[in-house]
Amino acid sequence: MSRMLIRGALIVGAIAVAACGRSDIDDSGSAQPAEASLASVLERNPGHARLEAMIESTGLTEALAATGPYTLFAPPDDALATAGGDADMTDDALKAQAAQLLRAHIVPGALTRADIAAAVDRAGGEGAKMRTMADAVLTFTRDGERLVVRGPDGPAVALSGDEALARNGVIQPVSGLLLAPSTAPGAG
Amino acid sequence: MRRSIWLASVAVALMAAAPGLVQAQPEGKGRDRDRGGAERGPPGKGADRDRGERSARGPDREREDRGGRAEPRRERPEARGRDNDAGKWAERRDREGERRAREALRPPGKTADRDRGDRDRGDRDGRDRRYDRDDGRRLVWLRREPDRRMIDGCPPGLAKQNQWCLPPGQLRQIARTRYERPRYDYVWRSYRDEWDYRYGDGYLYRYSPQGSLLGYIPVLGGALSIGSAWPGQYDWQPVPEYYGRYYGLGDSYDYRFSDGVVYGVDPQTQAIQTIAALLTGQDWTVGQQMPTGYDVYNVPYQYRDRYRDGPDRWYRYDDGYVYQVDPNTRLIQTAIQLLA
Repeated sequence: MSRMLIRGALIVGAIAVAACGRSDIDDSGSAQPAEASLASVLERNPGHARLEAMIESTGLTEALAATGPYTLFAPPDDALATAGGDADMTDDALKAQAAQLLRAHIVPGALTRADIAAAVDRAGGEGAKMRTMADAVLTFTRDGERLVVRGPDGPAVALSGDEALARNGVIQPVSGLLLAPSTAPGAG
Repeated sequence: MRRSIWLASVAVALMAAAPGLVQAQPEGKGRDRDRGGAERGPPGKGADRDRGERSARGPDREREDRGGRAEPRRERPEARGRDNDAGKWAERRDREGERRAREALRPPGKTADRDRGDRDRGDRDGRDRRYDRDDGRRLVWLRREPDRRMIDGCPPGLAKQNQWCLPPGQLRQIARTRYERPRYDYVWRSYRDEWDYRYGDGYLYRYSPQGSLLGYIPVLGGALSIGSAWPGQYDWQPVPEYYGRYYGLGDSYDYRFSDGVVYGVDPQTQAIQTIAALLTGQDWTVGQQMPTGYDVYNVPYQYRDRYRDGPDRWYRYDDGYVYQVDPNTRLIQTAIQLLA
């Protein structure tokens, strides 16, 4: 009886993970993407409500639901809450800034955490670089056991949490923004 | 100055080792056959978040669909009825897109018969039949314009006043706008060039380090927002047919590429209806160095079995193509179209 309960719990757990868009691992060890698109995975994830709202307000939902693939480095809601200073980046008045900020967090193709780790190890001290849709370059390095990524002029932020493999790309949660917000008026 | 590189010889040489590589495209063949790429419904505007599903499922599924099996076509209600003009988009591309996009032409001496032989080899392999349809095409790319197509002067309705574009009579705004830059304008620093950028009312303005106004462009989320009319003075690149098929674009809109974004524009009203795709627009030229910023293996899942990194070759994805790269020299060896 207890064995049946455990098996049932495992099945429910597996379904929950799949519903969140996280990757499954097949027999060969390869990551298997979910059926849902990046936009759908984000929509279901309450931890990225602000990011999802910015995508919606800027009109990028269609692009992130379509073919891609893209890898989206997803800052947490509290980091995005500071992105506009006193202003709200999800506001329609800041759509242009929000769109540019989002493009700075998106790179072409599907980058799994294992792909990034392999590239960092191969690149050595200089780090592994990836081009963003804002025409800037992100640099990945290691900080101890952690993988970190740094945008142009931005701080090093950690790749945190679980990656989510969507049908058309990957969501890589990061601990902060890849561009550093200005700290004072006029410093932008 | 960029050098034109013949792709075909490289592609043919690689065919045996990596079946599925698209051959360099002879000029002027097969356009009628190409029109099938317009079968998909247009993206339209709305909440169908999985519209790219068919394009993303990989070669086998795509071939099954073309085989005539009944699979419900997904399209937006508002787009129905406009698909009767299938091929219009492709025709428009023929007239404009390929004329204006960069091309890689067939090398001298590559004959039609030889093309056919390559194609047959793909047929026998059983995996690459779908590439037949592309044997008549030229390879074309969308590239990001180095100058971002900056426009001189000021947007319509605004006048240049002390290096700012303002509505007439609003001189008092100058000081506030210039010296109290909003905290959120840091996002434009990602351009990382020698210019200074400031945003205002839908447009991004470029300034010299000395503070002179150099030009402006409309930007995504600003003057280039869904529902906005395309600014008449702003130039754009037509989207080549291959991109249309790869990204699953339909016939209902004009697709325009500008500064890394593919917009779907209503051909009647000129209003932007959808943001269809984001592109890096980087310059990948066979025989040249791989652009900076592609150190991480990023090939789409469904192509990873076929294009896997090895000690003598890397594969990198960008804007609908996979490129084979020499790991030692970082020279681009060939360009591979993922859809045909």
